[in-house]
Amino acid sequence: MITVENLKKTFGHICAVDNISFTIKKGEVFGLLGPNGAGKTTTINMIVGILKPDGGSVEIDGNPDPTKSSVRQKIGNAPQALALYGELTARENLEFFGKLYGLSGAKLKERVDWALEFGRLTERQKDKVATYSGGMKRRLNMAGAVIHDPPVILFDEPTVGVDPQSRNMIFDSIEDLKKQGRTIVYTTHYMEEAERLCDRIAIIDNGKILDNGSVRELTKRHGGPAIIEAEFESIPEDFSGLPGKVDDNWVRIETNRPMEDLARLTKNGHTFRQLKINQPNLEMVFLNLTGRSLRD
Amino acid sequence: MGKVFTLAGKDLRVLFRDKGTMFWVLGFPLLIALFFGFIFSGGSGPSKMKIAIIDKDESAYSQAYAKELGDLSALESYQLPADSALDRVRRGKLSAVITIREGFGRTHGMFTDSAMIEVGVDPSKTMTAGYLQGLLTQTHFKLLQKQYADPDKWRADMDTLMADSGLWAGAPANVQTLGKSIITDLRELSYEYLPEAESIANDSTGAAAKQNDGFNLFPIKMTAVTNDETGPRSSFEITFPSSILWALIGIASSFAVSIVKERTAGTFLRLRLAPISRMHILAGKGLACFISCFTVSVLLMLFGAFVFKVRIGDPVLLAIAMACTAFCFVGIAMLVSTIGKTEESVGGAAWGILLVCAMTGGGMLPLMFMPGWLVAISNFSPVKWGILAIEGAVWRGFTYTDMLIPVGMLIGIGILTFSLGVSILSKRDA
Repeated sequence: MITVENLKKTFGHICAVDNISFTIKKGEVFGLLGPNGAGKTTTINMIVGILKPDGGSVEIDGNPDPTKSSVRQKIGNAPQALALYGELTARENLEFFGKLYGLSGAKLKERVDWALEFGRLTERQKDKVATYSGGMKRRLNMAGAVIHDPPVILFDEPTVGVDPQSRNMIFDSIEDLKKQGRTIVYTTHYMEEAERLCDRIAIIDNGKILDNGSVRELTKRHGGPAIIEAEFESIPEDFSGLPGKVDDNWVRIETNRPMEDLARLTKNGHTFRQLKINQPNLEMVFLNLTGRSLRD
Repeated sequence: MGKVFTLAGKDLRVLFRDKGTMFWVLGFPLLIALFFGFIFSGGSGPSKMKIAIIDKDESAYSQAYAKELGDLSALESYQLPADSALDRVRRGKLSAVITIREGFGRTHGMFTDSAMIEVGVDPSKTMTAGYLQGLLTQTHFKLLQKQYADPDKWRADMDTLMADSGLWAGAPANVQTLGKSIITDLRELSYEYLPEAESIANDSTGAAAKQNDGFNLFPIKMTAVTNDETGPRSSFEITFPSSILWALIGIASSFAVSIVKERTAGTFLRLRLAPISRMHILAGKGLACFISCFTVSVLLMLFGAFVFKVRIGDPVLLAIAMACTAFCFVGIAMLVSTIGKTEESVGGAAWGILLVCAMTGGGMLPLMFMPGWLVAISNFSPVKWGILAIEGAVWRGFTYTDMLIPVGMLIGIGILTFSLGVSILSKRDA
């Protein structure tokens, strides 16, 4: 559905996007995971045709020009900035955006009603947007992106600055879209969001895609071993045969088979005061790929 | 075209819902029109010349003269001591001080070698001095006219004058001869112009009684000739066209800021993602700005017409003038929006630039009161051409040919500024 090849963009002497390539299949939720300033928004803006790339190409549904009206009709974009008119109500905002995409009459009303429900804003539809909370504005921002029923939707950091309740509503809404078979590009710097929502994830840093794949694939490739940390009830007399490193009554085991190793420990009759198993995750993936934490 | 109307509709809705903006767009210009309109009209009528009258003669005739003078609608008179009156003239509180000298009542101010009325006025105020001189003379004759409605009193006074040896004391022989000759002639005139009491009683038509109102030594007939076309009929015919330009300045500033706000708020990004071109977006903005300018102009003009009797003149010509002025300010809004990258910088620059245009273009002080060099500079101000076009339709009596120059200038400035603005905005987005 979306093919990005060797995309490049520089601003002055700063290379914001450096030869990135990826393909997104129809109906897939594709995540761009990286810290602030990694090049996620620049990539999105080049995909939708707002920014002209210095090199490389973008194809959406086989069309190489995203600025064409017919292509734009297929794309919905919820920008990171809240692109809304505060003096208008939620319904008026959505009606305006819908009309820009050629909707009118009963179809417009139907889509506006749907989008209000999508954003869980039906009850407050007649209030001015300026009176909304940050979470409500975010949800309306997303609703504005889907008003024209596009098959491709791009969400650029849709959960920035929202409360947990709105965040969950946003997740539910995106999962609904996923079930409907939409192709979604989702940028975030929260690994939990990427893990929950995305079928595949590209790890992006300093304008480069370091790797991409499913969460399982990425953790397998870059997550490292699982780590078991256990505190014994009493210090074992015989350390031989115990996997990992033992320090006083603590043992730390790095393993690709954590359950098997845990079984070996209990089999020998050891009992534990504390037990912690750290499975490899995207945070570890990012740490191993870049040498720093995602939130640094 | 439908999408351009959609964009314009959104902008109009946003504009008219912002109470702060609406004040600057409609409330402030209306206040300016009313405030200056009332100030220039003097509120309760035309202003009067303030004078002090010092009566040193204190005779019945001098008191009658002072009263007659004080009753003139053009004057506001005060009875003050001489020192105080002169001091007030010096400080500009009074326009002049009129001193009625001793002997005025005896001579009726006539045929004396020295003036019986003295006018103290700033020598630089020649117009005031001349105007006062006319009023004093007019009062003189008016009083004489009243005084000598009775032919017997007229003749008796002429006889007294003739017999008054002190009247001629010191005067040259030729003046004495001339004076006596005039007094004799005036005495004889009473037989010719003033009807005797018996003839008034016998005249059933009333013509004799009417003649007894007195004679008019220098009759002037005043004929009312209403000037329909040239000159404003009231100060509001000047302030309302100016207020329209103030409204357009407010609208142009608001739209310039709104263009920048679309960028800073991110809505411009969403507009660019929609299946519309950049020209659609700019045309939508321009159309909204034009509709706002034209609508507010019409509203202000209608208010002026209904409440203050401001003339509409030729409605078609006025519509053309207002449409071209609105178009000009659409271009200005577009260009001004490119001056800065934040709402604050564009808002500040817009008011700064447009205030200068208003100052030099006659938006604050009418061009007729400006020095020549400033009038020359005003040719570069769109405010001047806007006011001229609207006034041309309202009270200057412009024909369609006369309207070509201001309208041409407005369209020219509009096209130039719009093109420049669009070009800069396009380059910035590329």
